[in-house]
Amino acid sequence: MSDIFVYLDPSPPAAQQGPLAGQSVAIQANLSVRGWPTRAGSAALAGYVALEDATIIARLRQAGAVIVGAVGMSEFGFGRDGDAAGRALSEGHAGMVIMTDMLGEARLAAADAGAFGFKPTAGIVSRFGLIGLMPSLETCGLLARTPREIARAMAVIAGADERDHSMHDGALPDFLRPDQTPPLRTVGILKETLALSAADEAAAFGAGIARLAAAGLEIREVALPAWDDFALVHRIVGAVEASSSCGKFDGVRYGHRAAGAKNWNEMYLKTRAESFGPLLKSYLFQGAYFQFENYVAFEKAARVRARLEADMAALFAGVDVLALPTGQRERGGTDGIAGVYREGACTLPANVLGLPAVSVPGLVADGSPAGGLQLIGPRLSDARLLALAERLGSSQ
Amino acid sequence: MNQIDRSPCGGLGVSEVGREVLLSGWVDALRDHGEVLFIHLRDRSGIVQVVFRPDVADADVCRQAASLRSEYCVSISGSVRMRAPGTENPLLETGRIEVIATALTILSRADILPFPVSEKAMAAGAAPGSEAVTEELRLQYRYLDLRRPTMLDHLVKRHRIVKAVRDFLDERGFIEVETPMLTKSTPEGARDYLVPSRVHPGCFYALPQSPQLFKQLLMVGGCERYFQVVRCFRDEDLRPNRQPEFTQLDLEASFIDEEFIYEVIEELLVRIFALGGITLRRPFSRMRYDEAIDQMGSDRPDTRFGLRFVEATDLFRGTSYGIFKQILQRGGAIKGITVPGQSERLSKNVLQNEYAKEIVPGFGAKGMTWMRVTRDGLDSNIVQFFSRAEQQAIIARFGAAPGDVILMIADPSREVVTSALGQLRLHLAGRLGLIPENSFSPLWVTDFPLFTATDEGIASSHHPFTAPDRTDFDPVNREELLGLRSRAYDVVVNGEELGGGSIRIHDRQVQGKIFAALGLSADQVEEKFGFFLRALDFGAPPHGGLALGMDRVVSMILGTASIREVIAFPKNRSAYCPLTDAPSAVAGDQLAELGLAGGSGYKPLPGADRQGDLLDSLSWVSRIGLDPALRPALAAAVAEAEALAGRIALIPGAETPLFTVVQTENRLREKGLARTSPLAQAGEIFQNAPAVKGEYFKVVGILE
Repeated sequence: MSDIFVYLDPSPPAAQQGPLAGQSVAIQANLSVRGWPTRAGSAALAGYVALEDATIIARLRQAGAVIVGAVGMSEFGFGRDGDAAGRALSEGHAGMVIMTDMLGEARLAAADAGAFGFKPTAGIVSRFGLIGLMPSLETCGLLARTPREIARAMAVIAGADERDHSMHDGALPDFLRPDQTPPLRTVGILKETLALSAADEAAAFGAGIARLAAAGLEIREVALPAWDDFALVHRIVGAVEASSSCGKFDGVRYGHRAAGAKNWNEMYLKTRAESFGPLLKSYLFQGAYFQFENYVAFEKAARVRARLEADMAALFAGVDVLALPTGQRERGGTDGIAGVYREGACTLPANVLGLPAVSVPGLVADGSPAGGLQLIGPRLSDARLLALAERLGSSQ
Repeated sequence: MNQIDRSPCGGLGVSEVGREVLLSGWVDALRDHGEVLFIHLRDRSGIVQVVFRPDVADADVCRQAASLRSEYCVSISGSVRMRAPGTENPLLETGRIEVIATALTILSRADILPFPVSEKAMAAGAAPGSEAVTEELRLQYRYLDLRRPTMLDHLVKRHRIVKAVRDFLDERGFIEVETPMLTKSTPEGARDYLVPSRVHPGCFYALPQSPQLFKQLLMVGGCERYFQVVRCFRDEDLRPNRQPEFTQLDLEASFIDEEFIYEVIEELLVRIFALGGITLRRPFSRMRYDEAIDQMGSDRPDTRFGLRFVEATDLFRGTSYGIFKQILQRGGAIKGITVPGQSERLSKNVLQNEYAKEIVPGFGAKGMTWMRVTRDGLDSNIVQFFSRAEQQAIIARFGAAPGDVILMIADPSREVVTSALGQLRLHLAGRLGLIPENSFSPLWVTDFPLFTATDEGIASSHHPFTAPDRTDFDPVNREELLGLRSRAYDVVVNGEELGGGSIRIHDRQVQGKIFAALGLSADQVEEKFGFFLRALDFGAPPHGGLALGMDRVVSMILGTASIREVIAFPKNRSAYCPLTDAPSAVAGDQLAELGLAGGSGYKPLPGADRQGDLLDSLSWVSRIGLDPALRPALAAAVAEAEALAGRIALIPGAETPLFTVVQTENRLREKGLARTSPLAQAGEIFQNAPAVKGEYFKVVGILE
């Protein structure tokens, strides 16, 4: 076992014929594959072996992809821990990585690894079989070297699943024929994000914008005064959803159970005290605070979320797509919840509103890996967004 | 026009065409045709279509109309017109006309509805609203649920039925008298709801389970004929179609016998069932309790179909079939049912694998014997154990012909035989469709046993004031006591007990013998019923009465699925009110004032003592134990959360909360049998369990 994978399939099933024939895919250990250890990076699920395939696993295999193994991850994917996902791709262990994107993890990992990272519109990819943490904020995220590979995989995994009742009901983007819809022509640059970036990142971003202009897109500066509210909403909503999602880890039906508890309550208290690590536990206590002590604050966050949705809709009435930096890893690792959110500052708005976003790597002239250029589009513009990323990538 | 001139929406028709009207009510549904807006306006009387047309209403009215949403409360003026040919709506009583609006006042606006209220489509052929709203949600927003015409109609019909009851009893010389709600615990079967007294610390009133003793005291008081539509309370274990509080029609009369009660109640039921378009035939059938048990295995038998029991114990006195032989040696019984002409549907497989192995054991019997009658005799898995003569005797006794099926249950206990066979009878009738639709079969069940045997001795089957069939019994002769019949009667319709009552004891001596038979000491009698027995010393008239469960009666007349559909504000199946959140905890001060706080019965919730500190409290409610080393970090995280809450409070945001960005439809599971997950069937779900015992997840004890 490497320091990248926590599980490698010793005998991958023979590859099927299909649109993804031969595509190797690495996943995180929070996506169920029957018979695989699936502890999602948490002691809460120590020893847990998945009983069923997640819907997207079944669809990928059906289409000919080979799931090679599961890479290491932070506890339930909260906070970045190492760079296993990016290295699985950059060191050639897999041609694609699928990981959970709760506040930008997949896009940030891709930017670090010099790859394309994509977060689809919320609700178009089944989460059945995913051990998630923040249902209304998270989606699966895809990392690959080319947007075309991502689009081909999306064409396979997107679409209704009767076992996931939280999915979008309407028509889906046509990932295989993105040109059928009008291409994206105008790009908005958010004033509020320009000041956020470090110097090298700003340079990279500037180079990216130049590339967009060269590709024939019209660049417009736009304003989103409520920018800071995205992070605030995400912190409150995310904590509550995490606290709620982790309620099921009680040590009764699966996972870790503390030894020697004398009664039911003590079993819960000890089991859950031992199950969660310090970072996640802080987050869960914050969630419990909003759930049990200050529900008004949670409800207010949901109201602000509605306002942000309206603000964003107004922006998209004027531009087709927003360009902003992806952001980058904090040197020396993050400290606590605040650090996790500092890293995701530019990526989490897409999670708050369920918008599709793609991170395009390495547009800086000197090729230094100084973060990516992130493009965010309106809901269900996924296919067009990937087509635009393709145009930018191929003009390198 | 003033509101006083308001016209009822549902009352408008062709004869009003040309008139100017003022309507007030709720927006039931809307249809926007660009320039022209159609709405359904609903009040208690019904629904009428209102049209806003820019060529009739001025611009301001049209602008206001464009802001209308479902369930806005509005007043509208306009003129009644015939609808254009071809646009009539046959779903509406007022479907031939419409009102062309000239003025609109929005009286109050409505939030987004938790479920649709509208039940009428705006055009013929359009899909009506879905009914699949959970009952819990309906109860939580009962005031909206009641706006639905179906529910409102239930309340109106209930009112009509109760009014008919009052009118009828008034005609018959009954007077309605109110009896207390705060009273002394009475000797009915169930637990009392208790109300603590502040003035008499440690003492409790009980809410009445029925006004039993008060109505008898009213007879002693010379009222002669009393009735009351009265709320009663029982703290029973939860059952699907029960309510902790329920409404009874309670009545009592003096100088009467059973026949008087039968006549009054039959006539009353005939009248009120007629309000639901149901004809009950008089006189009602009557059946003694023993007959009911013997022939149908229930003291509230469903007489809409046959399948009566056949006694077969004596047929097998000399049998060599081992199982029957053993059962008869132990003093057991064998009874059966003939199911005519059903051998096609009751195949060997169904009889053996479903009924004998699964269904009948669920009714408490160990097994079931089945025989299919063919031209050649009997066909069964055990037929070889019976002689030719025995087989002929069986066919003759059961009156069976080829194509019939004979089912028998044998058990050492006769009660088990009748009870299991009674349940089997209902099961078969349901499965084979033997119950005629829309038929109503009323029945009096009489001659109940006065006493029932218990482990400790005997108990009253009904209550201790029920008159026995004879008074010359010996109160210490247990056998004789168990043979006594009571003068009680139940009225049963379609297998459902709608009410019951009895002729009461009015003689002090007889009442004393009953208490003696029940093993109550003089002191116990004095403590429980002293006040009542004293009343019997002062010239009590002979009397008797009955109580009808009105919720059940109304529900049956209206054909609703549950009694909650005919109660305005019912409790749910957990005896909880989702609307008001009752029952709920009360303040410590209130308990202290009643002398209940800190008393022997009061225990604080486990962990409540730890609520003081916010961190401890969060640890407790989220069931994550606190590691002392992590305390400072977690305290900082919670302080951070408090700061975030402070920030979010300060920023604008009055929108409707957005909890998910994905717009989804309600998803209904397809109709069909519920099935067990294959993972559970194969036992795979236990593979990840920390501890398993048999087919269960094993955990520590819930209580210490």
